[in-house]
Amino acid sequence: MRLGIVRGRVVLNLATASLLGVRLVIVEPVSAKQLASGKGADTAVTPVVAVDQLGAAEGQMVAFVEGREAANPWWPEIAPVDAYCSLIVESVDYRPPKNLKHLMV
Amino acid sequence: MFLARIDGTMVSTAKHASLQGCRFLIGQRLESDGQTSGEPLVILDWLGATDGCTVLVTTDGDLARQKLGNTTPARLVVVGIVDQANQPKPVQGGAG
Repeated sequence: MRLGIVRGRVVLNLATASLLGVRLVIVEPVSAKQLASGKGADTAVTPVVAVDQLGAAEGQMVAFVEGREAANPWWPEIAPVDAYCSLIVESVDYRPPKNLKHLMV
Repeated sequence: MFLARIDGTMVSTAKHASLQGCRFLIGQRLESDGQTSGEPLVILDWLGATDGCTVLVTTDGDLARQKLGNTTPARLVVVGIVDQANQPKPVQGGAG
């Protein structure tokens, strides 16, 4: 799961049957630099459209799962979904080491 | 599977029902030279990894599915805490 900030919504007019009535949000993934500084947008990361069934508001941070597991909530049905907001972030305790090069033996 | 360094933890109130009571860590993927790459990742943990730990993370959602049920929207799980990882040596004249 990556972290992302909800930036907007997508509303479909015509949709495949399994996506009817499903809430879609535009999520901007959070980079390490952004998470450490707590502000600013990183234009280097590409936003994604994700399904949101938790009601995340604009500006809220979510964690979204990508890939086949994003369609798991529809099990045993199948759904053409590859990004799904699993949780809304309440707080983050992020303390990366100052020396970014990690020790390996 | 890949190695990741744990950089923190995360708290959430609103989450998918299957994820109730789970422990979420924030980690960064490690490359072979020890540098991190990509964006921070939210990783499920049942082993008790802490800040600064190097962990082995699986990208297969089957372990999460086995523990949390078939409907769980989770993928990355800590499957081991690393004691030691030998850095691969550069191959002389080898192809990329």
